[in-house]
Amino acid sequence: MKRLLYVVVAGILLLCFTPGIYAGALEDIEKKGEFIVGVRDGAIPFGFFDANNQHVGFSVDMAKELHKGLEAKLGKPIKLTLKTINPKTRIPLVANRTLNMVAGSSTHTIAREETVDFSITVFLTGTQLLAKKEKGFKSYKDMSGKRVGAAQGSTNEKAIRDLNTKGKIDPPAEIVVYQEHTQGMLALQKDIIDAYCTDGILLAGLKAKAPNPDEYELVGELITYDPYAYIVPEDDSNFRDFVNIELINIIKDGRYYKLYEKWFGPGGVVPYPMTQEAETLMKLQAWP
Amino acid sequence: MLSYNFNWSIIWTEPYGQWMLQGIWVTVRLGFICWFIALALGIIIGTFRVTPFRPLRIFGAVYTEVFRDIPLLVQLFFWYFAAPSILPKSIEMWLYRGLPDSEFWIVVVGLSIYTSSRIAEHIRAGMQSISQDQYYAALSTGFTHFQTYRFIIIPYAVRIVMPPLTAECLTVFKNTALAMTVGVLETTFMSQQIEAYTFQGIEATTAASLVYMGITLAVVFLMGLVEKRLAVPGLITRSGGR
Amino acid sequence: MGGLDWVVIQKNLPFLMQGLLTTFQLALVAISGGLLLGILVGMARLSSIRVIYYPATAFVNIMRSLPLILVIFWFYFLVPVIAGRPMGDFFSACVAFVVFEAAYFAEIVRAGIQSISSGQVQAAYSTGFNYGETMRYIIIPQALRNMVPSLLTQAVVVFQDTSLAYVIGLKEFLRSASIVDAREMRSLELYAFVGIVYFLVCFAMSKLSKRLEAKRGHAQ
Repeated sequence: MKRLLYVVVAGILLLCFTPGIYAGALEDIEKKGEFIVGVRDGAIPFGFFDANNQHVGFSVDMAKELHKGLEAKLGKPIKLTLKTINPKTRIPLVANRTLNMVAGSSTHTIAREETVDFSITVFLTGTQLLAKKEKGFKSYKDMSGKRVGAAQGSTNEKAIRDLNTKGKIDPPAEIVVYQEHTQGMLALQKDIIDAYCTDGILLAGLKAKAPNPDEYELVGELITYDPYAYIVPEDDSNFRDFVNIELINIIKDGRYYKLYEKWFGPGGVVPYPMTQEAETLMKLQAWP
Repeated sequence: MLSYNFNWSIIWTEPYGQWMLQGIWVTVRLGFICWFIALALGIIIGTFRVTPFRPLRIFGAVYTEVFRDIPLLVQLFFWYFAAPSILPKSIEMWLYRGLPDSEFWIVVVGLSIYTSSRIAEHIRAGMQSISQDQYYAALSTGFTHFQTYRFIIIPYAVRIVMPPLTAECLTVFKNTALAMTVGVLETTFMSQQIEAYTFQGIEATTAASLVYMGITLAVVFLMGLVEKRLAVPGLITRSGGR
Repeated sequence: MGGLDWVVIQKNLPFLMQGLLTTFQLALVAISGGLLLGILVGMARLSSIRVIYYPATAFVNIMRSLPLILVIFWFYFLVPVIAGRPMGDFFSACVAFVVFEAAYFAEIVRAGIQSISSGQVQAAYSTGFNYGETMRYIIIPQALRNMVPSLLTQAVVVFQDTSLAYVIGLKEFLRSASIVDAREMRSLELYAFVGIVYFLVCFAMSKLSKRLEAKRGHAQ
């Protein structure tokens, strides 16, 4: 009995500590035959659940296009698995290779570059505030002494805290931190907070999906510059090159603009015309 | 091994160290306040369950069953998002806005009620193990029902169920961690906040774990002291059977 | 507040039920895995071999002093780093739950085994059983029967604890309701529904536990 116990314990320890050999995302995908992509569930219209509770969205569609390109490149059918992630988990999950990629609404920042890599920019926006029209807020300065919600760990939460500490909002706003946008929107709806702070385009999406969109309005100027990109594992040039080249192809042959029209066009889920800067950016990013 | 650069110094570098300390203070406050409220409520509800008055007994039974059989997280969400809308609009607004730290106090309500239902169960068990003789003896000396409970039964029952009560006290402090889901800036929240800024998840979570282990030791020690001070010599025999 | 709109639950029932199924699956894995590991750890806690006793005791005491939500975060970060390869979120949650609940099951098992009089053990040894056989055929079956009420209570606790997988985005029952709420904005109805369902399941299980305890009392 004693010997059996020792063997079992040794076996468990061995299993735990055997390092896995990780080559690269492309090899991993080919071996497993599965492309695992993280997508959002509250970031309208980049990734959310439709009435049938299926994953839909601009980034979800982009991921599907990338998936097609992946199958073409690897020359075999690959299964596309979409996993739900939130602002807190998206970076750790790519850093520890649970996901091959995150296609959502992640801002490309220098700080994040230490842990993961990013694709080229797919969308341009910035931090803004969403509030009820009846409050009559005009800019972030109106937030002094008010309650502002944000998602834990997001760039927006850091931006508002920065505004507080730098004295740009005086007296400082009270920041209420939630785990995700759906909670924040709920809090805003119930007047638990005066405004919710996240990227402008996401706010437009939350507003569009609210039971009564006309009650809300986007407030003020862009507090930060937020270029969206897709998250890929750190130090995996092969995979990153593949993603970037595929994205460039999608831009060059017009699929990007079609998808943009579908989600952000006049008939789309969140009407948001492409700004001049965004158009120029997309053109310039498409390397020959 | 996957690429993960350990960096233990983030635990005490500013401002992360200070965040951690703030979080610890919130945890301790939350646990303390909820524990005492839950104790008081729990004793009352537990007593209700053994009184001869049927309406009180039924109320106690329903209270205990409802709050014990629903997960704490669900209860917290309910108290934070759903319940205040039942109140009149002005009180609801005061609750969310006028009250400083409203998230903290809403969690106090939710956690205290949850814990009180569990304490009520223990108190009930303790009271039911006291033989009827004590009760009749007290009544025959001229105590009223209320006085009997207040001076004889409840003190006796509380001493009997000290071990489960210690466990419940530990549980309360552990349950404070759930408050992070509704925006309370306690220890677990702070550890995840540190993780969000530094991506050093393992160090931050380990620091939080050490905090909770420390709290556990402190609670066990303190409750042990309380038990010793409250003990009536010879009252509770700890040998084999009853 | 306006009228309560229960139709929203009817409309989304399949999705909510899918979440409830995930909850049951997670609970099942947690209970069975936790019980198995708990039996091993509980036995280890009674061992006279220092190398087995101290780690088991340390494990139980550490796990019982930590909040489950923290353990879930811990395994989320730690498991892939140690294993050297990525893990799914359901798997990560399962590992966290099994390990965490094992500590609690271990204490129940330990108490159960200790409640069997030593006469049984001595009688077994004198009939020629060795340690393993004694445990397998004599002690653990009897102990399990004694432990059933406590095990059922712990099972109810585990079932409720699965709601914490919410924080890592697992689509269990509470999270499913939250997703629907984000779209429909009907918090009162949805969270009340979640509460009622949990209540019915747990209430039924705890009543079952009480009846089993009473029956056992009569039989003996």
